[in-house]
Parts: sequence; structure tokens; C-alpha cells
Amino acid sequence: MIIVTGASRGLGNAIYKRLSETGHEVCGLSRDVSKIEGRSYKCDVSSYEQLKSVSKLLKKDKVKVTGIINAAGVASMNLALTTPPSITEKLIKINLLGTIYSCQLFAPLLLRNKGGNIINFSTIAVSIGLKGESVYVASKAGVEGFSKAFAREMADFKVRVNCIAPGPIDTDLIKGVSSDLISKVVEKQIIPQKFKTNDICDIVELILDQKASSISGQVFYVGGI
Amino acid sequence: MTLEDAVETVTAVVKECYYEAKIEASVSESTPLVGGDSLLDSMGLVQICLALEDKAEEIGFDFDWTSDAAMSKSKGMYRTVTALAEEFQNQQKNVA
Repeated sequence: MIIVTGASRGLGNAIYKRLSETGHEVCGLSRDVSKIEGRSYKCDVSSYEQLKSVSKLLKKDKVKVTGIINAAGVASMNLALTTPPSITEKLIKINLLGTIYSCQLFAPLLLRNKGGNIINFSTIAVSIGLKGESVYVASKAGVEGFSKAFAREMADFKVRVNCIAPGPIDTDLIKGVSSDLISKVVEKQIIPQKFKTNDICDIVELILDQKASSISGQVFYVGGI
Repeated sequence: MTLEDAVETVTAVVKECYYEAKIEASVSESTPLVGGDSLLDSMGLVQICLALEDKAEEIGFDFDWTSDAAMSKSKGMYRTVTALAEEFQNQQKNVA
């Protein structure tokens, strides 16, 4: 079973669907599970207790967890100086703490199987240092750093931890971002192309594949940087 | 569950972990599980906690090794076999 957080929308939903279609057993976590077709649990990743409840249910049902994909995330385009503290807190709680909590609570389920994969999500904005996204970048830079160090902690247990850092992908996350800014970001990529959710799903499948068993602690910048 | 039972459970689990890690040493109530004198690495400690989760399930309660209370430095439940057994027993009592 692969756990996908943020499975009701955007990248998380695309990944959930792709993995289901390619024969994986998938379980989606989201605050709104009505949009998830298949096994799901209502859960806010920023709540340690809610995640813990889900992990207890999975353990009780003796679910064999082989992967965790932490796709749940939010963004906010604002200069740091004009970002309200409530938004700052929300970004850090959902993007960074949510990822850390999910790893802390679901990784033990992987350890029991003596192996597995964890995929976390960062953003190309971290490597660019994108103006207008400093708080969002802070939350995702934390995810990158955590992923690299956590990969070393999990290596003893044969669990690989990697990070995918997409550029602009057409989901609600970039709703409201001007096409001009999107173009400027895309131009900074080695492959200056706006990629789609399908491309991210391809990378997820690549990382999960046994042929990637030598890869851990890496950040995959989609399009390259 | 008495403290004696809990110590026996934890001792058995630690012995099993030593065996798997090919550590040839005896285990007593005062055997340290963390720190410079511990023979276990972090992997071994996690394996002990997972094994105790399973033991607790057999007995009929959830052994939570990730709570603030369990992890706080002042409690230091990983100091020794007895310290861990005390935490194990406490959690079992709280449910019973």
C-alpha cells in the first residue's frame, strides 16, 4: 500500500490516480476525501494527532505500507514583509511539519517491512530563491534538508527517501500566478518547458521502481536547474 | 502487569535485538539503551520500540513511544532496561 497525502487535488490526486491505474494499492489522505475514488482517510497533515490516528488504523488493519508520498502542500505568493503571520504559520505547518509528521508516523510501518520508499515535495523556487515566495521557499527548503538527512536515518532500514522539486505545474497551487511570472520561472529551467502532472507522475514511478534502488537522499528538480 | 513482568518483557526484546545485531553481551536491568555505554545503535533502539509495540498489542494496549511524555528528556525512558520497562508498565496501567 502506498500512502499519498494531499490526494484530493492537484499533484496528489494525479499521483493517486496514476498509482491506482498502474496496479498499486493506494490510500489517499486529505481534508476532503469526497474527491478521492478509492481507499482514503480524512486527515489534516498539519495535525500530528490526526496523522497518528490514521497510522494506528493502518497498523491495526495490518496494512503493509511500502511507500509514502507527501504531496500535501499549500503555497502563497507574497513578499515576506507582507505575509500575515497566520499564512506564515499555515505554510510551515502544512508543508514542513506535515511532511515531517507524516514521515515520523508512517515510516515505522515501512520499517516493519524492512524497506520502502518515501517521496517528499519541494519546489524549484527553493533553488531559484524566487522573489515573492520566500516564506513558501522556507517551508520547502526545510523539506529538502529534512529529506536528505532523513534519508541517512532511514538507510539502515532499507527505506529510500527522495524529494521531487517541480517548477510551475497547472494545478490550483499556481492559480493566481501571472503567466508572465510562470514564463520567467520556466525560462530558468535547463529544459525550459512547463511540465504537467503526468510528468511528475512519471518521475514518481521512476523513483518507486526497483531499478532506482541505489538512489536516496536526492532532490529531483523537474526540468533541471 | 507487574514491573517484574515488564522488565522480563523488555529484557527479552533487548536480548533478541542483541542477537540480531550479533552483539555478544548480557542484558540486565541496568543495561543502558542510549548513550556512550549503550551497545545499540539508533536502528537497534527503533527495533526495540517496534518489538515492544507488538508485545503491547498481544497484551491488549498501544505502546506509544512517540508521545511528548515518552520522549521528554526528564523521563529518559531509554536510560536503562528498567526505565523502559517502567514506561511500558505505566502505559499498560493507564489503559487497564
